[in-house]
Amino acid sequence: MSRIRAATFVFGAALGLVLAGCGGGTAAPEAPAETALSDQAALGELIFRDVSLSASGRQACASCHVESNAHSPDNALPAQFGGTLLDLQGGRSAPSARYLAFNTPFFFDGEGTATGGFFWDGRAASLQGQAREPFLNPVEMANTDAADVVAKLALAPYAGEFKRVFGADIFSRPADAFDRMALALQHYQLEDVEFRPFSSKYDEFLRGKVALSAQEQRGLALFNSPAKGNCAACHPSAKGADGSHPLFTDFTYDNLGLPRNMALARNADPAFFDLGLCARPAGDLAGRPDLCGAFKVPSLRNVARRQVLFHNGAFNSLKTALTFYVQRDTNPQKWYPLKPDGSVDKFNDLPDAYKANVNTTESPYNRRLGDAPALSDAEIDDVIAFLQTLSDGFSP
Amino acid sequence: MTAQRSARPSNTHKRSIVLPRIRPTRIVAALALAAAGGAAVSQTPSEADLARKLEQLAAELAAVKAQLATLQQQRAAQAAASAPAVPAANAPAPAAETASPAAPATVWSSYGEIVYNRPTNKPENAQADLRRFVLGLQHRFDQKTKLVTELEVEHAVSSSSDPGEVEVEQAYVEHQLGNTWAARGGLFLIPIGLLNENHEPTAFYGVERNFVETAIIPTTWREGGVQMIGQFNNGIAVQTGISTGFDLTKWDATSSEGQESPLGSIHQELALAKARSLSWFGATNWRGVPGLLLGGGVFTGDATHSQATTRARVTLWDLHARWTPGRWDFSALYTRGTISNSAALNAALIGNPTLIPSAFDGQYVQAAYKVWSRQDYALSPFVRWERFNTGKSYADLGPGLTPDPLPTETVWTAGANFQLTPGVVVKADVQRFRRNKDNDRINLGLGWSF
Repeated sequence: MSRIRAATFVFGAALGLVLAGCGGGTAAPEAPAETALSDQAALGELIFRDVSLSASGRQACASCHVESNAHSPDNALPAQFGGTLLDLQGGRSAPSARYLAFNTPFFFDGEGTATGGFFWDGRAASLQGQAREPFLNPVEMANTDAADVVAKLALAPYAGEFKRVFGADIFSRPADAFDRMALALQHYQLEDVEFRPFSSKYDEFLRGKVALSAQEQRGLALFNSPAKGNCAACHPSAKGADGSHPLFTDFTYDNLGLPRNMALARNADPAFFDLGLCARPAGDLAGRPDLCGAFKVPSLRNVARRQVLFHNGAFNSLKTALTFYVQRDTNPQKWYPLKPDGSVDKFNDLPDAYKANVNTTESPYNRRLGDAPALSDAEIDDVIAFLQTLSDGFSP
Repeated sequence: MTAQRSARPSNTHKRSIVLPRIRPTRIVAALALAAAGGAAVSQTPSEADLARKLEQLAAELAAVKAQLATLQQQRAAQAAASAPAVPAANAPAPAAETASPAAPATVWSSYGEIVYNRPTNKPENAQADLRRFVLGLQHRFDQKTKLVTELEVEHAVSSSSDPGEVEVEQAYVEHQLGNTWAARGGLFLIPIGLLNENHEPTAFYGVERNFVETAIIPTTWREGGVQMIGQFNNGIAVQTGISTGFDLTKWDATSSEGQESPLGSIHQELALAKARSLSWFGATNWRGVPGLLLGGGVFTGDATHSQATTRARVTLWDLHARWTPGRWDFSALYTRGTISNSAALNAALIGNPTLIPSAFDGQYVQAAYKVWSRQDYALSPFVRWERFNTGKSYADLGPGLTPDPLPTETVWTAGANFQLTPGVVVKADVQRFRRNKDNDRINLGLGWSF
């Protein structure tokens, strides 16, 4: 019996010790701490801001991805202007460069859903791959080729540092130098917490440090509700099981049937249609007509800071954009022009052959002409109030 | 019933039997107790005392049976090991022959069930399913120490594109510390309810496990940890220990899983289980009167593991009874679960279809009667009434945001178990739901356990 008592005592003591350690305190994820940038990232920051690397001499990454505006454009243009004289309009709106560290290369998931990738059509597999393209795009920084960029880079004030980091002979190998330049930009975007500050009011709310207002709470409920906004179906709002804060994108693609934006110069050509996924320059998805018209689901973090929304910049305010979501099918005449026969030219930014690709099955797109919209005007205001809590830089 | 099954300390299908560890001395003890029992009858007229003695005798008989089964297994293993060949002259004796009679024994067991469900109002949804196939392996290192494992395949085929799952359902080591206490460590079933530790198809009535012990008590519910098991001569058995618990941080408010089984959607099954906070559990069962079992259990612990803004405690408790007078078999159970601080956890989930409830509960009563038996055949009709609610209440989130409590579902189940042999059962029943008539169904099943 003494052995039994001893064993019981040991067990009891162990139980007590372990239970004493149970629970006790919480640690909601804090905003990422700032750390010193690596040499590559520090170079990337200089490159990010360097207008001398463009043909115009007046455009840098930071020109369109304005840090003070959540790395998004700070104007209401549907697409930014570039080129040698900054007079050539781009084809799509400039997305935010924030929270891209959590993105992945493009892939089809187990159910065949297009997922991941950088740019509106996911054509770049990494931030490094993405960083290369604007330098060579004729309607952006408009350099003729990689050697053209590298020649400018070699004259930059930080050229010596670039050589120290990547080799004294790096500029004699323009392809490698261009590649390293893009890599430095990737390092910068991955390392600088300004690209992923998680400092919005909603983040603070998730940390339990601030409460949402009544209107913001109503907006969150409408945002989440499958019967109302159903926004969270593509823009998840809940923390992950690992405690990670939501990115408000599921990294998939959708075809919303947006109205054609005639403010985009290339849309003056009635034969031109921006088809997104199926028309990527590499032609890798040309055989997937079902993906024509699909564009990436962007993060809604900082969406209230944007003055232009969607890939074609169709709308300039959240109020209009949300109203379009819920009234696209109930009141199509508000969003699309009329055909000569007087009928509504619905989904007019797509050729007839691809109009069937538009999402008409998920709420709130599953309404019919004359139905009540999924959200009332007041409810849209509530959702906007919630979306405004997603802007970084909140201070109580 | 194998030694592995009989080694479980708590309720089995024959709940009046306390199922003990196996010791050779029990044979002698049983005989001694038998004699003592007779004396007790003459010395103490109290019917309760007499009943207790009978209960002890029944327990010892079970021990003897288990011992016999183990010895038979050992003997079979030895025979198999020594069977080969004609030994060469002067060759060393096979190891099995040199082993002592107390050599470790390894015993296989298995249970499984194949079911057919046909919704009467939606027959297009009829399904047939190999619900589960389980292989058990018990290894006895010595007379005091054993390993118990169970490996389960659900839904016949398990792969990335198939619905099945492969699970380790139990994997624990148990060490006997004396006549009363044993210590158990590893992955084990939590002693809550009547079914969780005894969920083999031969151990319950009906094709499907009852809803209360699947939706509220997430049978088959197991955790990793350590526990002490005590069995006293007065018929009381206690179990208590610490273990891993639930994980509320993985609550999926967009899914209906949390409405189907709140705890089933957040159990961890010792698969990279979050273990910042451990849980405590305790259970007591009393079998002091023949044929009667009274018991209850509680499990409680923090389920946010310091990964949320607030701690939230999940607590589940139950009270249960089973009474088997003659050919009758009655049972009843009530269980209730609560989750604290659910308002804080729900604050970021508002608007989603499935918020975290603050309380959920269920209860059932069941009666069965062995109407016919011949040799091993036995036919036992039964009827069960159960009510359960997986979202009985929600913490206040403010007007327009607090979900309404879910409606309570009531289910009547009537059918019969037909025992082909003690290890094989054929079942059929009809189920009627008060609210969701789409769930009304007939069920057929085949089960085995050995």
